[in-house]
Amino acid sequence: MPKLKISVLISVICLMSMIVYGAVGFSQTPQPTVRLTADPAISSSNPQGVAQLVPFEAEATTYQPPARLTLQAMDASGQPLENAHIHLQIFTPSKTPWFTTDFPIVEGTTLLEIDAVAPKGELTLQQVFPIRGTYRLLAKVTPQTANAFAPFEQTLTLSIPENWVKYQNFAVLVAILLAVGIGGGWIIGGRQPIQPGEIAPQPVRLLLSGAIGVAIVALLVINVSAEMAQSGMSMPMSHMSKAAPSADQPSRIQSQGLDVRLSGDTNATVGKLAQFQVTAIDLNTNQSVQDLILNLKATQLENNWVAFAYQGVSDAAGTLTWQQQFFDGAPHKIEVEVAPAPNSNRTFQPFAVAQTIEVEGVAPPLLVRLISLSYLVGVVGAGLALGLMRRQRTRLARHQTAHSVRI
Amino acid sequence: MITRSTASIQQQAVRFTLSTPVQATLYISLCALILWTIYFTTYPAVHDKVHSLRHHTLTVSCH
Repeated sequence: MPKLKISVLISVICLMSMIVYGAVGFSQTPQPTVRLTADPAISSSNPQGVAQLVPFEAEATTYQPPARLTLQAMDASGQPLENAHIHLQIFTPSKTPWFTTDFPIVEGTTLLEIDAVAPKGELTLQQVFPIRGTYRLLAKVTPQTANAFAPFEQTLTLSIPENWVKYQNFAVLVAILLAVGIGGGWIIGGRQPIQPGEIAPQPVRLLLSGAIGVAIVALLVINVSAEMAQSGMSMPMSHMSKAAPSADQPSRIQSQGLDVRLSGDTNATVGKLAQFQVTAIDLNTNQSVQDLILNLKATQLENNWVAFAYQGVSDAAGTLTWQQQFFDGAPHKIEVEVAPAPNSNRTFQPFAVAQTIEVEGVAPPLLVRLISLSYLVGVVGAGLALGLMRRQRTRLARHQTAHSVRI
Repeated sequence: MITRSTASIQQQAVRFTLSTPVQATLYISLCALILWTIYFTTYPAVHDKVHSLRHHTLTVSCH
């Protein structure tokens, strides 16, 4: 009987070992993957002196080109997967109300969704990343011809650090607020005898008058100059100075035997995806055209910076569909240049279709703004407490000195 | 009697107004108002004027 138990135990151990070994072996079997490269390089693997990925800097003095991302689908042996479809979704970093970014509406949303034909298993696009944080890129790779390879998906991450200028400016602001608080506490905490005929002691009156004067001047300068500036805003929080201009190219062109049409949303809202589609039809055969190179470019028209760009080919239906979010509340232009593919029998001069988009900005949530205000007011409060304590200590020291002299 | 009590109330009101807690509260409130106007108001004209400043300051959201 004991022998039987021992043999059963050994059998169970052997069986479990085989299962564990099999599971470990299976997990170590090479799997198809998607490799992500970025230019500028991702900060964590970035050697010194090389440009880093930084979030979008609104009103930047120097032009910031969008980051170039390349996704390469590889098979299990590390070779590029050819004739693939790559469906890519880029998700923005999750919401951070306690440490907000400058685009809180963009937090926790989808930035881009594109369905790309990848003959060499490669998808290259240019994208401006609006905020700091970790972006998630979900790539779903499927074969163009059925059963060429097993479809798979992979989630990649891309961490973008905050722009250091914001830390610098915040440090300066904190220093100013602390000084304002300490100065206020020093004056308020001082001895304030009321002179006959006065309703308030002179230091307090001076402090309050000065502060109110600064407030009035600041509000006047900001409001009057803002009102004097040309302002044709059609919606709150959109910083467009005039209505979106019409595109210099039409959204549909019939030229050189091709009918190319750009369709989709003409109005967009920050935080939401807008949908677009390019369709190419051969006018002679009335069939969809596949052998075309499509160059997409989304440009913000107020400051002329490129938000998104992509070069790809049309799918079997002669279309290219994508959804993108416009994070800046200003007019944008979508431009698609059509050119013959290098291996195509079709020859024609490249031409472009375009469409302008009105983008409505959205005000940040009130709670997010109140949280940030509380931080800044907290700094003033801390400064005030420091000033009051310092004043009280000085008064106590003077009182003790006077007392000891009297003795 | 009435004159004396009125004067007393007035003195108390002045003392309360000029007390350190009230003065500190008024001062902080005024600072908060200025900060709100510069960094957080959604009034379009003000927003446009300080747009760059807001986008270049940590913890300040713009749109």
